Order: sequence, then structure tokens, then C-alpha cells
Amino acid sequence: MGSSIFFKEFMVENKGRFHRYLNRVGWMYIVPALVMYCAFMLYPILSSLVLVTQKWRGFSKQFVGFGNFVRMSGDKIFWEALGHNFLFMAVQIPLMIMLALMLAVILNQGIKKFRGFFRVVYFLPCVTSLVAYSVLFRILLQTNGMLNNLLKDLHIILEPIGWLNNGFWAKITIIMALTWRWTGYNMVFFLVGLQNIDTEIYEAAEVDGASRMRQFFLITLPLLLPVILFSAVTSTNGTMQLFDEPNILTWEGGPSNATMTVALYIYRQAFVLNSDTGYAAALSYVMVFIAAILAFIQIRLMGGKDNERR
Amino acid sequence: MTNLKTWCYHITSNARYCAVISLFGVRYHRFIRFRNRNLEGWMKKIVLISLAVIATAIMFSCSGKTEAKAPAAAGPAKITVWCWDPNFNGYSMKQAAEVYKKINPNVTIDIVDIPENIEGKIEAGLQAGGAGLPDIALFQDYIIEKFIKNYPGAFVDLKAEGVDYSKFAQYKLGPMSEGDKIYGIPFDTGSTGFYLRSDMVKAAGLNPDDYQKNLTWTDLIKLGEKIKAKTGKPFIAYDSTSFDFLRIMVQSTGSQFFKPDGSVDFTSPAMLKSIAYLKTLNDKGLLYMTEGWNNWIAAFNNGDTAGFLSAIWIIGTLKSKPENAGKWMVLPTPLVEGVPGAQNASNNGGSSWYIFSKSPNKAAAVDFLKKTWASEDPAALEFYNTILKGAGAMGTFLPSRSGSNYTAPDEFFYKNQAVYKDFSDWMAKVPNLLYTPNYVAMRDTVRNALNKMFSGELKTPDAVAAAAAAEYKQITGQ
Repeated sequence: MGSSIFFKEFMVENKGRFHRYLNRVGWMYIVPALVMYCAFMLYPILSSLVLVTQKWRGFSKQFVGFGNFVRMSGDKIFWEALGHNFLFMAVQIPLMIMLALMLAVILNQGIKKFRGFFRVVYFLPCVTSLVAYSVLFRILLQTNGMLNNLLKDLHIILEPIGWLNNGFWAKITIIMALTWRWTGYNMVFFLVGLQNIDTEIYEAAEVDGASRMRQFFLITLPLLLPVILFSAVTSTNGTMQLFDEPNILTWEGGPSNATMTVALYIYRQAFVLNSDTGYAAALSYVMVFIAAILAFIQIRLMGGKDNERR
Repeated sequence: MTNLKTWCYHITSNARYCAVISLFGVRYHRFIRFRNRNLEGWMKKIVLISLAVIATAIMFSCSGKTEAKAPAAAGPAKITVWCWDPNFNGYSMKQAAEVYKKINPNVTIDIVDIPENIEGKIEAGLQAGGAGLPDIALFQDYIIEKFIKNYPGAFVDLKAEGVDYSKFAQYKLGPMSEGDKIYGIPFDTGSTGFYLRSDMVKAAGLNPDDYQKNLTWTDLIKLGEKIKAKTGKPFIAYDSTSFDFLRIMVQSTGSQFFKPDGSVDFTSPAMLKSIAYLKTLNDKGLLYMTEGWNNWIAAFNNGDTAGFLSAIWIIGTLKSKPENAGKWMVLPTPLVEGVPGAQNASNNGGSSWYIFSKSPNKAAAVDFLKKTWASEDPAALEFYNTILKGAGAMGTFLPSRSGSNYTAPDEFFYKNQAVYKDFSDWMAKVPNLLYTPNYVAMRDTVRNALNKMFSGELKTPDAVAAAAAAEYKQITGQ
């Protein structure tokens, strides 16, 4: 019905109307999404700007200005949590990318049979439920759990390792768990990247007498760099938002906050401790700010490399 | 209605704002023409349509509410109850509903199971002015002070409605009171005891009957050393992710984690003494550290330890291992010596029922709770007896303790100990505990500091108290 009105208008009026008609139709298409976006994204984001200036407890709201940020600057637990985020980033991501690269190269070149099988096996961890795998890891890693018993039976260790109740080992546990979960996922990207590299380049290199090692470092690695960067970017974002593993696997960022992350701390401030919504919102803004800086650096990095290649 | 208005205002203003922004960058002059001619009209239409949709939605939801609003206690009403365990508190409420059906058949009780994050849902409902909330909800005793303090006037004052609170275990009333007002109907107790494997006591060459009495922690540590020397088993299963052990110790003395002004007090004699006991237990190798609930249960159910400290509600878990029948005995909570007012009784856990002031069925809900959970009518007392047997839920309504299931000997326990009678006797002696809205923060910081002591990082109870106080200050900003 609506369109017939448009059509009449279009017929009667001059040519310039046509574009306006298109414009109108375009608007009609995007308005529902726009309304939704404004009501459920833009409005909450804007109103959270008000939230960060509040000390908000239930029915009582109190304006504190920059109070939440002042409190944050002196909050050791928050800074430690931020440190843990960067630690996990610095240790786990390179480790995972190296492993994933190794597996991808082996699967691409070394193994001819069962390639599909291995691909599935390595990819499976990242589609398992976060909670389920965290709980399973908990059982395996307990002081009297399977891993410790196995290591003891093999005479690798004398005393059980506190995978979950020692600050240092708990960090290792998180890194291990993250690597277990995401290596296969990144490996799949690398496999695709490897398959896109022209075999003629390798043949040429072989003719020139380049060893396998040299081929890897001088051909595979540079040509795979965009994919590696992509993996690094997505992994950085993931690690910045790390939540489930420290919450369930090492239990509420334990032992004694040794694996507390910023996302988990925000969650605890907002929902577990005394519903400190304003403070949690302030923490979230800082996290968004850091994530934005990281994203900016990475985009520049990727863009730069991209241009170089062309 | 004011809500609706503000919403509409936000929707329209936001939509315009967005439209302006997205057009501005592209073609400004076009936008002006466009705006003059069409945009306003279309925006109006769209807004009108969305208004119509919202209005109908609100009309429907309102009509649903008015339907329920009309009747008082006598007329037909539907009372909605939120709780979280269909086999425990849900089951108990269902039994109460059965009793009430005979008193007032016009009222139906709808029990809704909220297995996850019930507090978050309630908090959202309160923030939304009571939208989507049930009439009655169950709250943990440790969390309710946060709600009473942060949401003044959210709950119905049941003392003003004439509930006789002298009939309930007094320690349950602390968290639900504010000045002269009392908001809740107490549900279950977390009366505590020390669970001990009589067969391991015997294996150490001792007579279990000698220990079936009020002991001190020193007595218990000596017993643990003997058992460890003979059987090689660590004495107590300890869950390092939990704060329960220290909480039970401190509450048994009548001391508090908080001062009356709401600030934390980690240096009370009771606290330091209890931490010192834990340190001794740990230094002597008597604690069997587990990480998390399941591992903790496995430790004592599989016989890795000779005992553990817990509350009445763990009995069901013990009975899930029928092969342990006849082995377990329950001692009174050991005494923290040297602290005036200390008892051989404490509490861990427990929850209570609350009615929201915004409930349209307030009168019916009050009548329902009064005539079932707070009534000495034989049918009501029998209902307490039923839920003890059916769900292992021990109520805190003192007259109910005469029920047959309370006094019955239990074959699962060593020498058929009448454990429920013991727990209900201890329940009457439990001292009150002050929770405050920051209980969870306090709980977690003390747990973290204790774990640092177990790992050797902190050496003395004073250092533990100081570390906990420092962390508490960080995470609460106070």
C-alpha cells in the first residue's frame, strides 16, 4: 500500500524526486534496525556515561564525579588484574601461535593420512562449552587429581604441584588451558593460509637449493604474516576479555586473586560483591579505552604490512 | 505511566539524534530538504506505530496485573514464589502450599524454580520499580542485608503484620531485622556439627563414645594427631575455595566480622584465635586441602579423611554413599577456648522467605506465610515434620522440634544417633551474626588471606588479619 503512494508521487513529480524516493525507501529499511540500535545500544552506552559519575547502591544514587576513577587509581586488585591480562597476553599468545604454526605446517606437509581427523581433533576444544572444559580441567588438575598422580607415578615430581592453589602454577594453568582451547582454532586459519601459498614458489626455492628450514623462514612465514597478525589481533581481544577460565577453572580468580582479570573483576564488582554498578562501569570504560588503543595499534600494524605487500 | 512517557521520549529523541548523525556526514543540504518534507512525517508514523505496539503490550501486561490486583486474602488469588532448589526449598514450599490449600482453597501458590542468579533477577526487578517480581522470594541469610539496606521499603514488615517472632530461632532474626521492623519468615537452619568417622577413631585404638560430647578445638586437634599417627590419614577435609570453616568457628563465639558501624573487625580475639587454630591444624598436617566443593565432598565420602566441619544440610550428601552407613557420627561444634560467650553451636547457611511491598497480592501472601510457616496449628507443625523427612530441611520454628522425625534415631549414623534432635538442640544456642551488605567482599578477602597462610606466604594470624583488611579496603573502596 505504502509503495503505491510512492509510485504515484514518483510519476507525478519531476526526476529529482526519484532519488528522494529511493532515499525514503532506504530509510524505511534501516529505521527498524536503527530504532533497536538506539534503544538497546546507543542509549545504554550514553547513559553509562552518567553511571560512571555515580555511587549507586540500590535505590540511592549519589553523584561522585571522578570519584570512581580516583578509587580505581588506588585499587591494587584492579592494577594486578590488568597486569595479569597483559601477562597472559605476552606469554600465551606467542606460545599458542608458535604451536599452531607448527601443527599447521606438519598437517600441511608431513601428514598425508588422517589429515581430516587431526584437523577435527585439534579444532574440537574451541567448540566445547567453556564451563564444561573448565570444570573438567579442575578435576584433572586438583592436588590429588589425575595429572599430579600421573606425574608422580612417572617419578617426574615428588610432591604434587598446586595447579589450582599456588599463585604461580595457577597462572600456568590458565595459560595451559587457553592454549589447549585456542591452538586448534588458530591452526585452521594457518592451514588455509598455507594452502593459499603457491607451490611454484617452493619449487623455485628448491631449485635454488634452499633448505626446508630456509623455505619456512623466508617463504612460509612472510607470506603467512597477514594471517598470523589476524590471529594475534583476535587473540589479544579474547585475552583482554578473559573471564570464564579464571572464574571457574581457578575459582573466582584464585588462589588469592593470583589469576584475577579485569573482566572478572568488573563482573564481581557489579554482581557479586556489593552491586557497585558505577564503579564497574568506570572500570569498563578503562578497559574499552585500553582495548581501543590495542586495536588501533593492531590495525596500523596490519594496514602497514598490507600496503607493503602491494 | 511516567515510565512509558520517558521511554517514548528516549526512543523518539534517540532515533532523531541517530538520523541526524548518520545523515550529517553524508550530505547536509539534502538532509535539510529531506527533513522538511518527509523525514518528520515518516518518523512520526514510525514512532506512532511503535507507540501503538508498546501501548498494546503495556495494556496487555497491565490487564494481567489488574486481574490479580483485585482480590484480598479471602478471594481467589495466585501467589508466585521464587526459590532455587526443587528438591529442597521448592519441595518445602510445595508442602506449605498443600497445607494452605485446606485453609484457603481460593489461593493458588505458583512455585517457580530460578536455578541461576536469582539475586540478579530480583535486583533488576527492584530497579524497574517492582516489574516482573514474584510475590514471595527466598533469600540467603548472608545476602538479605544488602537488599534491605540498598532497597529501603522493598519488603513487607511482617512484625507489623503480627507474626510472633519469639517462636523462631533467634539467630535467624538478626539479618532480617532493621530497627523495629522484621521482614522475613525464617526457613531452614544451617546448624553445624563436626562429622567424624567412628571406624577411624577405633582404628586409632580409641573409643568413639568418649568423644561424643562437647569438645574444644584443642581436644579435637589432639584426636586428629592420634588418628593421623595410627592411620596415616589427614584429619579434616578443608575446601580452600570456601570461607565456611572460619565462619563456623567465629560465629560459635558470638563475635562478629563487622563492627556495629559496618566497618570490618578482623582483629577480634575470636578471629585471631580461630585463625591460630587453623594454622596449627595446617602446620601439623591435619588438613586435607581440596579445591572446590566436589573435591571436598569426594574427600570425606571416599574416606580420605576422618572428618570435616559442616552443617546439617550435608547429611543428604553423606547418605548418597550407603556403604558408609553406621560409620559417621556428629559431634557438637568444637569450642573456641578463651573467648567469652563461645558456644558448642554455630551455623552455616540457611535462607528465609520475604514478601515484596509492591506485590499486588500482599495480603494473601502474608496470610499464607503466617498460617503455614509461623503457625502452631497441628497441620502446620506436621508440615515441618514432613519437610525434615522429605527434603532434610530443618525449619527454625522452635515449636516444630517436637515432631516425630526430629526425635527419631537415624540408622545411617553410628549407634543410630538421633542427629536431627542434636542439630535442633544446637540450633537453639546459635549466636547471632552480623552480615552487612559487604559480607561477600569480607568473606572472599578473608578466604584469600587464609589461603596465603596455608601456602606459607603469611606467617601469623595478625598478618592474615592485616592482609584481609588491606584487600577488603581495596575492593570495597572503604
